[in-house]
Amino acid sequence: MKSLLGLLIVLAPINIELNAAEAGMPQLDPTYWASQAFWLILVFSILYISISKFYLPKIKDNLDNRENKIKEDLENANKYKEESELKLKEYESILVNAKKEVSKIYFDSKNILDKDIQSKKESVEKEIEKEILKAQKEITELKKNSLTSIQNISQNIASNIIEKLTGDKLNDSSIRAAVEETSKKSLSKYL
Amino acid sequence: MASNPMQQFTVHRIGPEIKIAGIDLSFTNASLFMVISASIVLLFLFLGSKEKKIIPSKIQYVAELFYTFVAKMISDTAGSKAKPYFPFIFSLFMFVLLCNMVGMIPYSFTVTSHIIVTLIMALFIFIAVTIIGFFKHGLKYLSIFVPSGVPKVLLPLITIIEIISYLSRPVSLSVRLFANMMAGHTMLKVFGGFVVSLGILGGWLPLSFSVALTGLEILVAFLQAYVFAILTCIYLNDALNLHH
Repeated sequence: MKSLLGLLIVLAPINIELNAAEAGMPQLDPTYWASQAFWLILVFSILYISISKFYLPKIKDNLDNRENKIKEDLENANKYKEESELKLKEYESILVNAKKEVSKIYFDSKNILDKDIQSKKESVEKEIEKEILKAQKEITELKKNSLTSIQNISQNIASNIIEKLTGDKLNDSSIRAAVEETSKKSLSKYL
Repeated sequence: MASNPMQQFTVHRIGPEIKIAGIDLSFTNASLFMVISASIVLLFLFLGSKEKKIIPSKIQYVAELFYTFVAKMISDTAGSKAKPYFPFIFSLFMFVLLCNMVGMIPYSFTVTSHIIVTLIMALFIFIAVTIIGFFKHGLKYLSIFVPSGVPKVLLPLITIIEIISYLSRPVSLSVRLFANMMAGHTMLKVFGGFVVSLGILGGWLPLSFSVALTGLEILVAFLQAYVFAILTCIYLNDALNLHH
C-alpha cells in the first residue's frame, strides 16, 4: 500500500497533465464546507430519526418474535415428548397386563378342559367296565346254558350209541347219572 | 476527459444557489450522494423490516444480520450500558458503509473522502462522548487521564500524553477514514489513467492492478466503516465504564 502510494506520487506528475485550477486537494477548498456540513447534519439527522423510531424497533420486534416463537416451540416439543413418553409407558403397562391376562385365561381354560376331559374319560371307562361285566355275565350264563344242553345232547348221543351197540334200551335216569358223572369229571377242563 | 486524479473529489453545485445569512448552503454533488446513500439505507431497512416472517426473506435476513452484527459489536466493546446508543452507532455504521460503497461505483462521488464530512462526524462523536463521560461520572471522568499503577515520577508526563491522545481522537478518527478513501480512489484513478496512456500494448498490467485494487477498495470501504463504528464504541466504553 505504502509503496504503491509512493509510486503514485512519483508517477502522477509525469503521466497526468495538471490543470492549475484543479491542482491540490479539492477537500481543502472551503467554498462548500458549510454546505457539506449542513447537508450532512440534515441527512444524518433524518436517517438517525427514522432508523431509531421506525426500523430498528421493527427489526428488534421481528427478532424477539422469532426467539419467542422458537422458545415456545421448543417448550411445546418437550411437553409433547414427555406426554408421548407417558403414553408409551401406559401402553407398555397395558400390554404387560394384557399378556398376563392372556396367559391366565389360557391356563384357566386349559385346566377346565383338562378336568372335563378327565371326567369324561372316567365316565366312559366306567361304562366300559359295566359293559364288560355285563358281557362276562352273559358269557357265564351262556356257558351254564350250554352245559345243560351239552349234557342233554351227550345223554341223547349216549343212549343212541348204547341202543345201537347193544340193542337194549337203558332207562334215561341211569344214562343221565352216568353222563353227569363223566361231564363233571371232564367239563371242569373246559369251563 | 478529466485526467487529474484529484478531480473526482471536486464539489460542485447542483441546482440553484442557496444562501442563508451569507453562508453558501447550496445543494451539491456531495449532498446528492449523501441523500442517495441515506436513501439506500432507508430503502434497505424498509424492505428488510416490511415483512414479519418467522422464516425471514433474503433481504429481511440481511437486515437482521446487520442488526445483530452491530448489536454484537456494541455489546462486545462497550457492554450493556451502551444499549441506548445502539441506534446512533447503527445509523453511523450504515451511513459510512453506504457512502463508502456508493463511492465505489464509477463516476460517483465519495462523501467520506472529504475531511470536512469525516471531521464533523468525528467531532460530534468526540464532543458527545465527552459530555456523556462528564454527565455519568462528573469530575471523576478526568481520572481517565491518570492511569493507575504508574510511578509517580512518570505521572505528569503520562497524564500529558493521555490528554494529547484524548484530544487527538477526533483528528485520528476523521483523518483515518478520509485518507483511506481518498488514497484508494486516487490510486484507482491513477491506474485507470495508466491504462489509457499505455494503450492496448502496455495497458494490461495497470488494468489488472485496477481490478485487484477495486476488490481491495471494497474491502477497505467495509473495513473503514467497521473501524469507524468500533472506535466510536470504544470511546463510548471509556465514557460509560470508567476503569482505572
